[in-house]
Amino acid sequence: MAFDIVKYTRASDAVGWSDLDFDEFERNPLPDHVLRSLRYMCDVEYHTVCYLRDMLTTPSHKEPEIAAFMTMWNREEFWHGEALSAVLERHGIHVDYSALKAKRLKLGFKDRLDPIKQSFGSNLIGIDFAAVHMAWGAANEWSANAAYHRLAALEGADHPVLAELLKRIAQQETKHVAFYATQARERLAKSKKARVIARFALRKFWGPVGSTIAEPDEVTHVMGHLFQGSEGRKLVRGIDAHIARLPGLEGLTIVENSLEARGITGEDREPTPEPEVAAA
Amino acid sequence: MTTNDETTIAPAATAFDVSEFARTAKGFHRDELDLEQFEQHGLEPDAARLLRVLRDLERSTMARMRNLLVTATHKDARVTAFLTTWAYEKFWLADALDAVLEASRAEEDLPADEGHHRLTVSERRDRRGTIRRAISANFAGPQIVAAHVTAGLADEWITHAAYRRLAGIAESLSSVVETVLEVKDRHIRFFQEEAERRLGESPKARRITRKELLGTAWPIGSVERPAEERSFFERIVFGGAEGREEARGIGALISALPGMTAVGSTIEARLVP
Repeated sequence: MAFDIVKYTRASDAVGWSDLDFDEFERNPLPDHVLRSLRYMCDVEYHTVCYLRDMLTTPSHKEPEIAAFMTMWNREEFWHGEALSAVLERHGIHVDYSALKAKRLKLGFKDRLDPIKQSFGSNLIGIDFAAVHMAWGAANEWSANAAYHRLAALEGADHPVLAELLKRIAQQETKHVAFYATQARERLAKSKKARVIARFALRKFWGPVGSTIAEPDEVTHVMGHLFQGSEGRKLVRGIDAHIARLPGLEGLTIVENSLEARGITGEDREPTPEPEVAAA
Repeated sequence: MTTNDETTIAPAATAFDVSEFARTAKGFHRDELDLEQFEQHGLEPDAARLLRVLRDLERSTMARMRNLLVTATHKDARVTAFLTTWAYEKFWLADALDAVLEASRAEEDLPADEGHHRLTVSERRDRRGTIRRAISANFAGPQIVAAHVTAGLADEWITHAAYRRLAGIAESLSSVVETVLEVKDRHIRFFQEEAERRLGESPKARRITRKELLGTAWPIGSVERPAEERSFFERIVFGGAEGREEARGIGALISALPGMTAVGSTIEARLVP
């Protein structure tokens, strides 16, 4: 399954919302727990440039196809941030560049792959580290895609405008998934060493998208909001099944494990209004 | 660290609107180009070769992004928002230049685009890998952003001169050059505003920036280019009386920036073959 980079770059565009009636949010505002999740997603999208930095520290950016993809991907994700911040703005939540910067300074961006590079040290010489990056990226994009679809399904009946916007965002994420998964599949298939390292890295270090840039309480809130219960668990297993189909990653259940570790289960609970303090 | 050193958020007086820039980004230019004339008449070798250099420079944005993002610059959300759109626009500029080259079929006759690199001592800084860059930028702190935007500005001035020269060599390229310069105009405006403000605010920013400008191979990205191609670029853009005049103009613009008085003439001397 080839990924057509020329077609992708030419079709790449900022996600649009000018045709959507955002006044609806003033007539029928989103509940607090939804806004809290949206804020988290908005931050994640805006911080894509920090992930881009990680990707660029491997020589893979010299490959024209990857450079082209990264350029478009980074911009599309930036616009997802803009779109979500426009929704938040209608609820009096102002996300601007100075707030984002403050967050980047406060949390310090942790390079999640650093410990992996360190633990393998010189063993990484000569391996296609891009294979690991691509598998990692695929896992992230599958999760993001599922998260947007899930939120759209949860809120669709009460807030169709939000659901439509989320679907548009998810559509772009689907293309990102295709790129990462195609790259990961090809690169992992070529190298046993890359398969071993990718498996180790994902099993040991992977965490939900955003967990390096958000407070643990926020991560737990969002993951619980979207994936607690039997419906959520079904989706999570779907993501894991996708990941496990990549060469060398058979049998991994990293997403399910990461949720279990945060106390998010497949048990259906009564939908409760957001408590004052989120369960840790 | 003084409060100045933390001031990387644009004050209210900033004129450049990053959101507006992002919203009105210019992509895909092939439809506006008259490619047929290049298919029919081709391009003369010097124009084609300069076009190839410029295409490759516009294309190297991801390498530049990497060098910026491993430093504190990635923490400044306004700057990264700018860079996101800047990289996108440059991608499509490279694509437009590539379309012209392809249509002219002139590339096949050009000298090979490979060979040994220049190893000038003064450019040693520019050859650093990501790790050494990240470490030295750590010592520089947030003021490294000033160095990056100022280098971006000087680079724009230099490539502007190259594009003007390109239109001078080949009349047929003038509308292509016009399109490119129109897109780049906003890049210059952002870099200029940021450079002047940041340099004006902090002595540390001026010190770091001087070091950065003096250690850079111009235009940015040249360090990765074969020595032969760099000599060609300097000869064609800054050779001759007119070229020297261009270089002098760029030197003067750089010298006029806060704290850069002594830097302009050094860069001018390096540009001239």
